[in-house]
Amino acid sequence: MARVSLKGVVKRYGAATVIPRLDLDIEDREFVVLVGPSGCGKTTTLRMIAGLEPVSEGTIRIGDRDVTDLRPGLRNCSMVFQSYALYPHMTVRDNIGYGMRVRGESRARIESKIAEAARILGLEPYLDRRPKHLSGGQRQRVAIGRAIVRNPDVFLFDEPLSNLDAKLRIEMRTEIKNLHRRLESTVVYVTHDQVEAMTLADRVVVMNSGVIEQIADPITLYEKPANMFVAAFIGAPSMNFLAVRLTGDAVELADGTRLPVPQERAAALAGFNGRSVMLGLRPEHMAGGEKGPAVVTLVPRTIEPLGPHTLVIGELAGTRITAQVDARFPCRPDEPTRITFDMNQMHVFDRETGKTL
Amino acid sequence: MKRGAVFLLCLAWLFVTLFPIYWALVTSFKPPPAVNGGPTYLPWIDFQPTLQAWIDAFSGIRGDFVRPFVNSTLIGLSATVLAVAFGSMAAYALVRYTFRVRLLAGVLFALLGIGGFLLFRDLGLSRADSLGAAFVLALAASILANRLPLPGPVLGNNDVVFWFLSQRMFPPIVTAFALYLLYSEIGREGVKALDTFWGMTFCYTAFSLPIVVWLMRDFFQALPVEIEEAALVDDVPRIRIFLEIVVPMARPGIVATAMITLGFVWNEFLFALLLTTSDWQTLPIFLSGQNSYRGDEWWAISAAAMIAIAPMMVMAVLLARLMRSGLVLGGIR
Ligand SMILES: Nc1ncnc2c1ncn2[C@@H]1O[C@H](COP(=O)(O)OP(=O)(O)OP(=O)(O)O)[C@@H](O)[C@H]1O
Ligand SMILES: [Mg+2]
Repeated sequence: MARVSLKGVVKRYGAATVIPRLDLDIEDREFVVLVGPSGCGKTTTLRMIAGLEPVSEGTIRIGDRDVTDLRPGLRNCSMVFQSYALYPHMTVRDNIGYGMRVRGESRARIESKIAEAARILGLEPYLDRRPKHLSGGQRQRVAIGRAIVRNPDVFLFDEPLSNLDAKLRIEMRTEIKNLHRRLESTVVYVTHDQVEAMTLADRVVVMNSGVIEQIADPITLYEKPANMFVAAFIGAPSMNFLAVRLTGDAVELADGTRLPVPQERAAALAGFNGRSVMLGLRPEHMAGGEKGPAVVTLVPRTIEPLGPHTLVIGELAGTRITAQVDARFPCRPDEPTRITFDMNQMHVFDRETGKTL
Repeated sequence: MKRGAVFLLCLAWLFVTLFPIYWALVTSFKPPPAVNGGPTYLPWIDFQPTLQAWIDAFSGIRGDFVRPFVNSTLIGLSATVLAVAFGSMAAYALVRYTFRVRLLAGVLFALLGIGGFLLFRDLGLSRADSLGAAFVLALAASILANRLPLPGPVLGNNDVVFWFLSQRMFPPIVTAFALYLLYSEIGREGVKALDTFWGMTFCYTAFSLPIVVWLMRDFFQALPVEIEEAALVDDVPRIRIFLEIVVPMARPGIVATAMITLGFVWNEFLFALLLTTSDWQTLPIFLSGQNSYRGDEWWAISAAAMIAIAPMMVMAVLLARLMRSGLVLGGIR
């Protein structure tokens, strides 16, 4: 078990710089999730930690060793791939035991470790099957089994659940979380699914075009996003953004609607008076009807009942807005409806840089 | 309507391909008058079949049949095994590693190789010695030169593969003559290469390598790289990854390639004609000899031809089955 640290890591493919410069410290036994949109460099980062991809610049340390120039096999990592990457011609037993056999461990030890992994992952009935005859979830378990018998310093997961159906994904998510608690190991986990990131992680690393936008625990990420990218990426449905002008104790929308800002928020933003900024408010911080001082009129275009609550999607001052209202809130498409904003929960971003003010 | 037309075309093609085989087959059962007196087509109707040609063939009246058969089998199998083994390794390396060969370094190799040979020979070394010395010198110099930032184009993996294949593009007679000269030179140095098992095996291995590399490269390229990466992360040495993971995964491809290679070698005529004389004569040479052995005795030649193609027919059937069962292409997963 060990810390992982990336210092000034740069990755170029020919002339294209995929990761401009990345610093990341992962604590011992921490579960860190790398999340971001497709192509942002998550897999590349993971593969550089594993040693499958050389770094162009910078250093990578695992524990107290500098592993930057070490070949993958010597880094004592285990990797679980999105495609499972099981050895197709070997049984489950051989798949799990192959690495130990190559390292020349004793037969008895190999058998006992396979048995233990099979017990933990519920693979006992399948030990003599080939991967071809397993379901997706079972294959993923075999891949995880192959990873845990190594007793690695670090577990690396690259979107391990994205080939599973929704229900199985939630099950395996819980299993992976339990496994982490039980093995007390350092985990670096890559996903593009923000829910997976939030539910699994001790800390989430939000990446965008090779740059880390924010590193924080899930709640902080949700409550105090560092910038508009993180604010928009975390949370579903996504945060709403409105161009507004700060006028002391209120914000003014493009159509002239004034929304009063609570005292202490106004005080904190006093320095930006008169400035044009981006107002961010999550759908779940809105309510149907007139429940407070900040009320707007929204013309719903689409109404999506989800059961516990309903999403109202409409236009406000020329911007698309999604509001979350009570399931039984009366509203119909194209009939203007009143929506209350909880301005205590508002986020304010700089319009140019996107940074939180 | 369209299907019907396609079906008819297929039938016509089938007839074109099957008829020669049928012709050889029935001819081998014909008595001489049924051959010489104009065409006859159907046994028992046009002529009375006889086993005489086959009896003659197996009793050895028409020359020793067994020996070329054994030769062909031995040479074919060993050349196939060697070519597939080395060719697969080369193909794997070409798929998984990036090679960068500077054209100038290659030119340097050729210049030093030829020039060095001439120089060493003029300095009084024996031919074999100067050849060896020039080769080592040229190889060492070009490997070093490849590290330098020489100007000019840099060749990559595809160029290497093309270079392999290009050896099969010029007329084989060119290689065959060169090999004949090389073998007789080697023979003069005291190592018999002409008309030997090793001489033939070596030349057929070299002859088959380009095809093997080309075919196996496609099979390896189709394998998912993550499986090997999983093994790499687990600290499995490359050679074990190749032997214990890649080869089993590519086995259907290897089997198909081996069969195709064996077919090539089995049927090869030109090299065998130039490089063998008696001891290691192969079937195709023996067959062509049948023609003049006692004049045009077509029934005997047909029987011999049937014996020669029988193993290939068995193999073709096996290969077809393999392909039908999806083993060749969809073998992974
Ligand atoms: N071998 C390569 N050569 C050139 N560019 C590459 C190579 N591999 C990856 N890239 C580029 O690097 C960037 C990051 O790729 P990476 O696979 O790390 O993305 P990712 O975050 O894992 O995305 P996804 O969620 O789709 O898996 C992409 O823009 C990709 O095009
Ligand atoms: Mg990826």
